[in-house]
Amino acid sequence: MAGFSEDLFFASVAELNAKLRAREVTARDLAQAFAQRLETAGPRYNALALPLTRQAIRAAQAVDGEMKRERFRGPLQGIPFGAKDVLSYAGHPTTWGARPFSGQVFDYTATVLRRLEKTGAVLAGKLAMIELAGGGGYRSASASLFGPGLNPWDPAHWSGGSSSGSGSAVAAGLVPFALGSETSGSIVTPAAFCGITGLRPTYGLVSRYGAMPLSWTMDKIGPMCRSAEDCALVLQVIAGGDSNDPASARKSFYFTPQYYRKLKDLRVGYAPVDFAEWAHESARPAFAQALQVFRDTGAKLVETKLPAFPYNILARTIIDAEGASVFEPLIVSGKVDELADPHQIAGLKAALGISARDYLKAMRVRTVAQQEIRRLFAEVDLLLAPARPGPAPRVSEALNQHRPETDQWKDRGMSELIPAANLAGLPALAFPCGFAGRMPVGLQLVGLPFSENMLVAAGREFQSRTDWHRKRPPL
Amino acid sequence: MKISRRELALSTFLPAALPSAAPAQEPEDPKTELQRNSEFLARIRVAMSVEPAFQFKA
Repeated sequence: MAGFSEDLFFASVAELNAKLRAREVTARDLAQAFAQRLETAGPRYNALALPLTRQAIRAAQAVDGEMKRERFRGPLQGIPFGAKDVLSYAGHPTTWGARPFSGQVFDYTATVLRRLEKTGAVLAGKLAMIELAGGGGYRSASASLFGPGLNPWDPAHWSGGSSSGSGSAVAAGLVPFALGSETSGSIVTPAAFCGITGLRPTYGLVSRYGAMPLSWTMDKIGPMCRSAEDCALVLQVIAGGDSNDPASARKSFYFTPQYYRKLKDLRVGYAPVDFAEWAHESARPAFAQALQVFRDTGAKLVETKLPAFPYNILARTIIDAEGASVFEPLIVSGKVDELADPHQIAGLKAALGISARDYLKAMRVRTVAQQEIRRLFAEVDLLLAPARPGPAPRVSEALNQHRPETDQWKDRGMSELIPAANLAGLPALAFPCGFAGRMPVGLQLVGLPFSENMLVAAGREFQSRTDWHRKRPPL
Repeated sequence: MKISRRELALSTFLPAALPSAAPAQEPEDPKTELQRNSEFLARIRVAMSVEPAFQFKA
């Protein structure tokens, strides 16, 4: 194996692919280097669920054989990656981050993993996550079979959830990219906290076959990478129709940012209150600078805010009701008590009692909210907001600290953009935009359904003017 | 299901400043929280023609 410099572990997918095609490295070298790094350093961040080093090296050797015969399958060929343990991988444990499922083995592989393997990407390991992707509502970073996700920028801080391992593994250069999943915030949050770029696709664009169900009407799977462009390269492979997923939109995604309008031609909606008041004080300078970068592109920044709906309550009711139905056997059997987070246990038990009346009411209000949000896009092309109001909290802090009562009359701006956009099935790109102290903070761009190319093009333009996505944690 | 702009305007009633949606300072136990959410949902009026959201396609 070649002696790799640290630079290689932080190279983009396109850069790694260029090295492979120029035969500067072999796929086997890459697989061995990344898989060993993941196996060694992954536990430092509680990021690793299952090492797959031997399988990865075997798969990479097959890729080398293909490349020798000049059978090129695209930019992911020979690139190692990690997958959130929410995805089944035939014959190997899939724990969903939860003790009651620690011995679970499926005999089939998730569609997204099959698609990646078919294009020559090499699965180096499965990555840790919040138990049951947070179904039931968790209050602690320790709500995981693997322990609290630790942030490579400072292990005293959380890596975010529920795709905790995906966030920290990409940030620490343990894999070039990873798959995460989001029901309401699980890609955007760890991407923001770990200083990486995450893409939550439009609902239905990426097959969920083989992924743990939590909320049938809200679950999405998406890439977590070093840059917007890398996200697009991964999305191009994992998107597409799948008859095994009843929610599949049967649409493909082709990365064609060259055909999309530049930021100078776009109207970007933002709420000043998000940046000036909802944002943590320590993060405000970074957010202000990032807004200036958008202004400098010539983008037309339009003041806006979300239509007034109780997004958190709607999302909570829908996710709880659907999740309790999914996990009814776990809850009724009492095995739910084996979960790590007492709040989550109580939440799942309570959720079994959500009435059909409440669930349907939430789903009907969701219809109206969705149409109102769509109407917002008559005035703007994209929405821009902090991905999270501040940097990652300390691992020891209770999560989801409630807002003080004094905030209840405050202009909400787009502070509930995560549940709102997830309820409406809208795609988002989360990307780093600076630091609060030594911890990264990020922005999110949200667009209409299937506007991923526009999101990626805008993210790429931002990243061409900044280098936040190239910053590395002190390892 | 499509609803017109006019129907949409008439379709929901949301308490102006969503006072009950603002959570309490201390985390509630999940049962209390669900009960509070249920009471809040009950106060929202939705037009009879509005169907539950099941389609999220462009």
